Amino acid sequence: MKTLLVVDDEVGISDALSEVLSDEGFLVLVARNGKEGLERVAEKRPDLILLDYMMPVVDGREMLKALQGDSAYRDIPVVMMSAISRSSLPPDCKPTAFLLKPFGIDRLLAVVGQLLGGPAKP
Amino acid sequence: MSESMTERPQDRVPTGVPGLDIVLHGGFLRRGVYMLQGRPGAGKTILANQVCFHQAAQGGRVLYVTLLAETHDRLLFNLEPLTFFDTSRIPEQITYLSAFSTLEEGGLKGLLEVLRREARAHKATLLVVDGLVTVEESAQTKKDFKKFIHDLQIHAHLIGCTILLLTSASAEMVGPEHTMVDGVLELFDNRLGRRAERELEVKKFRGSGYLRGGHAFQITRDGIVVLPRIEALLQEPSREDSCKTDRVSTGIAQLDRMLKGGLPCASTSVIFGPTGAGKTTLGLHFLNESSRSEPGLLFGFYETPPRIFLKARALGLDLEKKQKQGVFDMLWHAPTERILDGLGNELLAVVRERGVKRLFIDGVDGFQKAAAHPDRISHFLAALTNELRVLGVTTLYTNELQQLFYQEVRLPISGISSLVENILFLRFVELHSRLHRLLSVIKMRDSDYDSSLREFRITSRGIELADTFLGAESILTGEAKAASPSRPKRRSLLKKRSR
Repeated sequence: MKTLLVVDDEVGISDALSEVLSDEGFLVLVARNGKEGLERVAEKRPDLILLDYMMPVVDGREMLKALQGDSAYRDIPVVMMSAISRSSLPPDCKPTAFLLKPFGIDRLLAVVGQLLGGPAKP
Repeated sequence: MSESMTERPQDRVPTGVPGLDIVLHGGFLRRGVYMLQGRPGAGKTILANQVCFHQAAQGGRVLYVTLLAETHDRLLFNLEPLTFFDTSRIPEQITYLSAFSTLEEGGLKGLLEVLRREARAHKATLLVVDGLVTVEESAQTKKDFKKFIHDLQIHAHLIGCTILLLTSASAEMVGPEHTMVDGVLELFDNRLGRRAERELEVKKFRGSGYLRGGHAFQITRDGIVVLPRIEALLQEPSREDSCKTDRVSTGIAQLDRMLKGGLPCASTSVIFGPTGAGKTTLGLHFLNESSRSEPGLLFGFYETPPRIFLKARALGLDLEKKQKQGVFDMLWHAPTERILDGLGNELLAVVRERGVKRLFIDGVDGFQKAAAHPDRISHFLAALTNELRVLGVTTLYTNELQQLFYQEVRLPISGISSLVENILFLRFVELHSRLHRLLSVIKMRDSDYDSSLREFRITSRGIELADTFLGAESILTGEAKAASPSRPKRRSLLKKRSR
């Protein structure tokens, strides 16, 4: 079973994503900000991270920077989620993929499936 | 990987409810959560189902979830007489589910789970939750209820469907649910004395403009028809005023001469006068000039079409022939319980559809009688008049004065004189124990005109207007006196008869 980490300070969104992705057969971990997210990654290395851009404590940009600066984690695919467009992200913020909020399930599963080499459910 | 092409929520979900998409500037926003509230019997279920069947007709899929004791059999039985109801859409495109027991057993979390799963399983583009008040009653705290709405909103985005929540009117002016949803529509059934008028108001609509305030609606065999409030719909006329300077014949040569060539094209005129003074007769002359290039329309409240034809025939005017030629038509509405905006919207629709250029509104007070709120009438007429003007329509209203004889003239509709460019005044005067009809032009905006008082007669050849009239004085008091013999004598009908 593939493990996904959802990092989002909006509980409703992380809960909803967690439910949808669990239905698809993924093991889903949840964190409320970048600091918690890095702790989860250290506890159990996920196969993919869904990362919100704007969060308190440690935001998505800083968490991504920390992951990409660590040779143990820099190969984990990160999907940045934000209501601002990708072109508005700072030049040093280069996630593997980007999802413009709000997005639909089909788009989410397509991106996740593409990065993980196919859907969780056969 | 390229940036997501995720659809932004500016896309519209048309309701298919006549008039409502105009109020909503095109429909709901896709993936939005909207609350439809109103007391039992207000029309929520009909409105929601009408949207559902329209959505299905457009190729969408609908999940309709009830949380009420009413069975689906009963619900469908009540919808069956309505023309939008189409059983062939059920259950493939429209699925009805009851989640009453789910809510009782699983609470709000259980309900949310079912809504999410079922909406996804049915690939719903529209989800209706009928009976939100039951959810509110089941919530332990207001915060729980608010969270439910919030979570539902997130799922609406994820699932990609638009959500309608139906509930009875909230006791609170600003309930927690109102702050969470993308829009709130409320349905009312207002009692106005002994009559009732249904009304819809959009109280909130995030991310979009809309027509504010109340809009009347009717429940017909075809479902709900919303009648956008004319003065909200036409805050600004639909196009630029081309300021035409041509003249349009009144159909009475002598009157055209008084008006220096006729009524200004695309202007609005009102004919004031007491009953029997000849207002309708004058309007029929105007309509008798209808042609292919200037189609005419009579919009009336009192005299029925057969009576109008009879009256025209007696005046030597063949309006039936004009109607057969397709250059003239009539719309008649008895001045009973009408909806003001229904009249206004219908009038404008016909004017646009038939390209009407000569419009005679016989009895502007018919609008006043239809107004649930009479203080609206001057705003209504201003919006209507402005629109007719930009559509190039030359309009003639009649407005009845209550007294036959009077020293002081009070206009029945306040502010109407400022709305119109031209005012014609018909009245009776008494001289030597006989009644005489008089016509005068009181106002003609930005134009010269003959301000003399003219006597006129209504004959089998129509209206005959004297060249001028100097046979009496103090006419505007309604009690004329024979003019002094030292005055110059000129030909007039009144003078000839008063010898």
